[in-house]
Amino acid sequence: MRLLLLGAVTLAIPPLLPERHLATFVLFALTATVTVGVSLLMGYAGQVSLGQAAFYAIGAYAAGLLAVHGAPPVLGLLLAPVVAAVAAVLLGAPLLRLRGHHLAFATLAVQLILLSVLASADWAGGAIGLQGIPRLVGDDLGYAYAAIVVLTLAVLVSRNVIASRPGRALRAAATSEIAAAASGVPVGRHRLAVFALSAAMAGLAGGVYAFYLGYLSPGSFPVLLSIEFVVMAVVGGLGTVAGPVVGAGVIIVLVQLLNTLGTQPGMPGYAPSVLSYAVYAIVLITCVLYLPRGLVPALRRLRIPSRAG
Amino acid sequence: MSDLVGYLLTGLGIGSGFALVASGLVAIHRVTRVVNFAQGAFAVLAAMLTSTLLAAGLPHGLAEVGGVALGAAAGLLTGLIVLGPRRDSPGTTPGTALIVTLGLGVLAYAIEVLIWGDQPRSFPGVPGVAEIASARVPAHYLLIIGVAAPVFLLMALFFARTDLGKALSACASNRYAARVVGIDVRRMGLLAFALGGALGGLAGVLTTPVQQVTFDSDVTLIVNGFAAAVLGGLTRPVVALGGGLLLGVTQTLAAGYGGGAYQVEVALVLMLTVMIVQAARAR
Repeated sequence: MRLLLLGAVTLAIPPLLPERHLATFVLFALTATVTVGVSLLMGYAGQVSLGQAAFYAIGAYAAGLLAVHGAPPVLGLLLAPVVAAVAAVLLGAPLLRLRGHHLAFATLAVQLILLSVLASADWAGGAIGLQGIPRLVGDDLGYAYAAIVVLTLAVLVSRNVIASRPGRALRAAATSEIAAAASGVPVGRHRLAVFALSAAMAGLAGGVYAFYLGYLSPGSFPVLLSIEFVVMAVVGGLGTVAGPVVGAGVIIVLVQLLNTLGTQPGMPGYAPSVLSYAVYAIVLITCVLYLPRGLVPALRRLRIPSRAG
Repeated sequence: MSDLVGYLLTGLGIGSGFALVASGLVAIHRVTRVVNFAQGAFAVLAAMLTSTLLAAGLPHGLAEVGGVALGAAAGLLTGLIVLGPRRDSPGTTPGTALIVTLGLGVLAYAIEVLIWGDQPRSFPGVPGVAEIASARVPAHYLLIIGVAAPVFLLMALFFARTDLGKALSACASNRYAARVVGIDVRRMGLLAFALGGALGGLAGVLTTPVQQVTFDSDVTLIVNGFAAAVLGGLTRPVVALGGGLLLGVTQTLAAGYGGGAYQVEVALVLMLTVMIVQAARAR
């Protein structure tokens, strides 16, 4: 019942938003989709990825390149998560031997390599970028609904994975890998599966992003974007289904508000970027130090005693 | 032949920069088990302050010392946030610490853009070109090597000969035992952070005349520094030094003979290979 209500509210939001905020909404839904994957990876598989934007870029470029070469946009959109997941399996097989900060730096390295390759690849438009990607649907409202569908899909998949037998196995492995392996959990295979799944989510969101903007360049996928996904996942609460969506929502609304403030007449030209960096940094640091489990678990703890009393 | 000597010397110069960032990472990691993502930001902050001080008319040398001091202060501040402000505060776990230092790196972006803007900055180093074995090398690279080498020597002496250095090494090898013999592990952690900050700052101040610095140069610095440090498992300063030099030379050779296109990839693939081989050997 609560889910239905939530769904109805979400579907009712886009038509009520003015054009300017509709773009923010699409951005929010796509970012939240990637963050769901990051949260699954960090919260359940215990792996920090500082290169998730690489899979976002792979999905976007896969969809964009297919569409530019005449494939129907829907085919491009369907193949985007597949290509991203295949890339994740190929990269993950050697990389997932690494743990903790080694894996974090390895994923960061993968993204830097990808950006460097894309910037020098003529078939992908090079540093100038890939132009002339056809549109998927007519107007921004259509993209808002496409983004909602993608986000819903990611949330449902993540919810079911968490509740499933492999999900429980992964949670066990994140606590103690040795104990889980001793109990017969194929830890390596599960880790690779979650890595691929989170990449598929990023790839799918990237596909919608490509058709929405109609233009892709390596500069659209900076390392900072990967860090932003991690910030949103941590702020919302790792290992919760709602966490990434709440985290992405809170941060995007904050950044948007400060952006409006920063572009007021009389503010210096650098104000918007300074304010957005400051938001990411301060929200992340306060959250890690004072709400280490994230916003959603903290809110839940506030609510339960009040209900009892 | 003269090409090769030239590439080797420039490589050693660039590599010394990486080695300084790497040894900062190692100094912090071996004492506190924290991998400090903000290490690159120390270099950027120091370089930016130095450019301002030089523009304000301060002589060379003094301005650079100011930059390094800012790096050390930023390092100490990072340590205070990561290890907790009070003596009995629990601090953060190494996993959380990576996230916190990530946040501090982004905070440094805000501060850098606010004060210095988002355009690349640089300042003049040692002018002119030196000729060694018929190879022509910009003289500043020789200065980088000439400053970094004694710094590494001093560090080795500091860790091996002084009480303070020995106390730091004691914390690195066994925190519990160090506390039992009366070493203040937290204070040593803060000292390690300040030392790491100064080393990062020195790297930034030394390399900026040959490589412009922007607020987001820290990503390249930290990745190369980590690549150098990871060779020694993030705990061995001497191996980090060797790793940094190797990385610098490999990059300049790749750039020189490969047309300049693949130097980023060479360093990163080298790092990935080293880490994967290490992980495979560990089990």
